[in-house]
Amino acid sequence: MAFHKNQKKRFYQRRKVCKFCADSSLEIDYKDAKTLKQFITERGKIIPRRITGTCARHQRVLATAIKQSRTIALLPYVGKLG
Amino acid sequence: MRRYETIFIADPDLQEEAQKDLFKKFTNLIDQEKGILVDFDDWGSKKLAYPINKKPRGHYVCMTYGGTGELVKEMERLFRLDDRVMKFMTVLLEKDVSPEALNQEIEAAKEESQPEKEQVATEPEADADANAEPETSEETEEEN
Repeated sequence: MAFHKNQKKRFYQRRKVCKFCADSSLEIDYKDAKTLKQFITERGKIIPRRITGTCARHQRVLATAIKQSRTIALLPYVGKLG
Repeated sequence: MRRYETIFIADPDLQEEAQKDLFKKFTNLIDQEKGILVDFDDWGSKKLAYPINKKPRGHYVCMTYGGTGELVKEMERLFRLDDRVMKFMTVLLEKDVSPEALNQEIEAAKEESQPEKEQVATEPEADADANAEPETSEETEEEN
């Protein structure tokens, strides 16, 4: 029992807020590689929203923007390996 | 009329004249097909995230214009035929815009740029440098 209680406490985390909801002046643009880079891993994978805290709506827009950005070589399909 | 944005990556090793010729070809095409060119943005030579045609750099150009689907079709056909263009992408920005609104936008952009020219003549250059330098430094950091 004691173990369970501890576990619950350990998993408590401050709720993450969607970056784009918090700051409405921030726009998701596929040409803005610098902002998009915060949402991909070093390998170039899109980071899931359970980790970044982005809301569902913005994550959808973000995902398309990253994919468009990859098409015109502003972001990599595959990042550095190893 | 629809509003589109086309980014294409031109060969960075082109002579200046060939480059001008290439840009003219596509701006002329927009005129021919009764489109309205709103903005022609030359980003210059940038490092690519992955090599295209075995080249690590590319010359980016971004055009915003109003036109019909026919114009896009023709433009993309010509992009495919032209060896000087390495890659291109067209994005639909607005499904329905009036030509008047686009013309107004061009006028507004002109008015804005003219008075600024005298005061802030040096700023665009500084911006271009600032944009180019961090990119290369980031790359080296990653390698380390």
